[in-house]
Amino acid sequence: MTQLAEYEKVEVNPELEEKAEKEKARRGLFTALPAYVYLIAFFAIPLVLVFVFSFASRSRTGTPVLADWNLESWARLFDPLVAGLAWRSLWLAVVNTLLCLLIGYPFAYWIATRQRSSTRNLLLVLVLIPFWSNFLVRTYAWRTLLDVDGFVTQFGEATGLWGQLLFTLPAVFIGLLYGYLPFMVLPLFAAIERIDWNLVEAARDLYASGSDAFRRVTLPLSRPGIVAGSILVFIPSLGAYVTPDILGGPNTTLIGEYIVTQFGAARNWPFGAAVSSAILIVMLIATIYYFRSGGRTL
Amino acid sequence: MSVSEGTASTGVVDKLLTINGWAVYLFLYVPILIVMIFSFSDHPNVGIWGGFTLDWYDRMLGNDQLMRALRNSVIVAIVSTIVSTILGTAAAIALERYRRWLGKRPFDALLYLPVIIPDVTMAVMLLIWFAQLDFRFGLTTILLSHIAFNISFVAIVVRARLANMDESLEEAAADLYAGRWQTFRKVTLPLIWPGVVGGALLALTLSLDDVVITSLVQGPGATTLPVYVFGLIRRSVTPEINAVSTVMLVASMVLVFMSLGFQRRAETRE
Amino acid sequence: MSAPAVTLSNVTKRFGEEVVAVDEIDLEIGDGEFFSLLGPSGCGKTTTLRMIAGLEFPTEGSVRIFGEEMGIRPPNKRPVNTVFQSYALFPHMSVFDNVAFGLRMSGIEGSEVDRRVNEAIELVRLSGMGKRSSRQLSGGQQQRVALARALVNRPKVLLLDEPLGALDLKLRQAMQLELKDIQQEVGITFIYVTHDQQEALTMSDRIGVMSRGKLLQVGPSEEIYESPANRFVAEFIGETNFIEGEVTAPGEVKLSNGTLVKARTHSEPGSAVTLTLRPEKLNINAPDTAVPPDRCSLEGKVHRRIYYGDALFYEVDIGTVVVDVMVENRPGVPRWSEGDEVVLDFHPEAAEALTE
Repeated sequence: MTQLAEYEKVEVNPELEEKAEKEKARRGLFTALPAYVYLIAFFAIPLVLVFVFSFASRSRTGTPVLADWNLESWARLFDPLVAGLAWRSLWLAVVNTLLCLLIGYPFAYWIATRQRSSTRNLLLVLVLIPFWSNFLVRTYAWRTLLDVDGFVTQFGEATGLWGQLLFTLPAVFIGLLYGYLPFMVLPLFAAIERIDWNLVEAARDLYASGSDAFRRVTLPLSRPGIVAGSILVFIPSLGAYVTPDILGGPNTTLIGEYIVTQFGAARNWPFGAAVSSAILIVMLIATIYYFRSGGRTL
Repeated sequence: MSVSEGTASTGVVDKLLTINGWAVYLFLYVPILIVMIFSFSDHPNVGIWGGFTLDWYDRMLGNDQLMRALRNSVIVAIVSTIVSTILGTAAAIALERYRRWLGKRPFDALLYLPVIIPDVTMAVMLLIWFAQLDFRFGLTTILLSHIAFNISFVAIVVRARLANMDESLEEAAADLYAGRWQTFRKVTLPLIWPGVVGGALLALTLSLDDVVITSLVQGPGATTLPVYVFGLIRRSVTPEINAVSTVMLVASMVLVFMSLGFQRRAETRE
Repeated sequence: MSAPAVTLSNVTKRFGEEVVAVDEIDLEIGDGEFFSLLGPSGCGKTTTLRMIAGLEFPTEGSVRIFGEEMGIRPPNKRPVNTVFQSYALFPHMSVFDNVAFGLRMSGIEGSEVDRRVNEAIELVRLSGMGKRSSRQLSGGQQQRVALARALVNRPKVLLLDEPLGALDLKLRQAMQLELKDIQQEVGITFIYVTHDQQEALTMSDRIGVMSRGKLLQVGPSEEIYESPANRFVAEFIGETNFIEGEVTAPGEVKLSNGTLVKARTHSEPGSAVTLTLRPEKLNINAPDTAVPPDRCSLEGKVHRRIYYGDALFYEVDIGTVVVDVMVENRPGVPRWSEGDEVVLDFHPEAAEALTE
């Protein structure tokens, strides 16, 4: 009850209003504090540390030594071997994103426009079920299919279309497409579903053909979904480790695996940190581009 | 609803779209089904049917290492889910319901990073940090890592749910004499509950799925199921892996159906 | 005499540096009054209401409820309740639980809750709907639950934020009368925010017209309608004509077309004024009709006739401006056509000479 006395001021003035606002702000910070502290401790600091250690030099056991700063690790990034690896990974990520887009867009469009709203949810759930099942297992499934006696190989040999695909680059593509297609489909669906179809009808009314209306109205309007889906596919594809390892084998080394070996057999932590930092920078640029081009938060 | 196009080419476009649709579903489900079917096949080569057997399941259950890894996975998954759900929900509320506070913008950005960062990079980050702090690598480091990436996922799901909620409901509660905590418990929480559960299930799945981060921050002796299976796959491919895979698949699907059933029930109750 | 129900003294609300939503409002609302805040969207009426409710705090000035200063008291500590524009019914609760919410939050339990909730549900004529989920109700029913939920707490003042906006016309008109009945039955102060001037006129004891954060005029419906204080009020409420002129003597105005008329003036001779005259206050006559001595006349030509069903609207060109004249559609009343020369007449009491 004594609390009430505080509120009994004669005339409210801007200071009092500000005080109420400040108290509310304090409560907001307090609510976020546990998560904030945790993320700083176990995300922000480690992130900074990776950048810092990319400039360290290597001890005998491979761990970083901060005493001797140098740019050796970064210089090594331009090594033809490494650069080639990075380039291949980048190219792979881009192609995978395009593949997911090429297959995912018609699929999302199909669900959003050709299905009744009652079945739409069911169809989406059916896409989500594989998505929710274990990623490792799903990649393993393809390994069995593409193996020597696998069904895909048997089919390929029987029809003369292809031989064993396991441990080749196409296998990695299949695996990545399989793993990341839902990431493309879901934001695309959300964007396409939101489109006001009156606009397409207006375009038709103004003499646009079917493909015109699609190109000039539907496609641009679905752009937020395209961008969101692309980011969600591109970035993980860049750092893919499990899929290339299981399906690509030793022939196809990509940057994800290369980084992991630095902390394993190759014993060169600073270099591993440098390569990771490079990926982080690429990722940061892609994200900034996304937000600058008007992307909404996920 | 559907866009009517009225030109002759519609039929072709429609057919192509439908074919693409079904092809995608086949593409998504056939591999999974093959794994499940061949877990019952009595033949050392995966891909050749050798008669029905439950041998592989027997072997799986008798594999001590595997069972231990399974136990670790479940423990880590449950604990990290609980912690990250609480922290993530609080973070979502702070972002959606409080307009301005110190450090809000940086926090918003910080919260998104774990979602988009490739797991290799996150694994490296945490490895370096734990090594620097001289932590003992083991279940604890695995747990700490899982919480680190799960908070953001929970926050995103809960945030979406909060944003969709009519804010005037909380104002109405205050107008009707509810204090802040009462408003949260009686109005906000029940209405965002499907989002909280959705976020929790997502966290659970991501924790059970994780391979890269766990493999880098784990210690000797304590491993999780997916990492163990990953090791198996790299060494040699035997149908025993099919059995494990089938079990994991079925478990995930059960979780998904549970969450869907829960969502459906929550929605009809509202 | 007891303290007025709500007193706003010099209340201002600023958002950031530039936006002034409410600008120095002084207002007293009496106990038991049905008071409406009327104005176009963005005029600050909802913000004003929210400051009384405690959902916003004024930047300057004071809000007093029955003499008690509210300061920055949060809404759950004020003796007022709000009916929200979107009703804000809790979707996860039944009708009964919705209505009971405020009571339970105040610590009331058991049979008293049952009794009062059922009383409130009966008051709004929804008996028997207690167990229904709030989502299953129609718009009108939801509106009544929102009302019951607020009234059950016996607040000293009830605040209503455009509660009938989402309803269709017929339902809205029926609810207007019901709300007025309930207010008179319960006897508490109602503060009602709306942009619909018809609604405000029919329901209120007094109306406060707002525009751009400022309170332009406060008074009973009749006063607002018959004697608007300025152009905005005159135009916002009902239909009106504006004719420019100059005051030549108290009670006398010379129009820009030279005609001299009598009107209610409030300013010095020589000042420029706008005469406001409502369409139904004008009569149309044939050119040579004798106009009664206590009325004024204007000559003009019919420009257009519009048929409204219950009335006929004539646009008459009187030289400098076209005025609207409304004539009831009754048998025996002569009809005029385009091009007809006519004489309009009106009573001076119906013409207000406005300076702003």
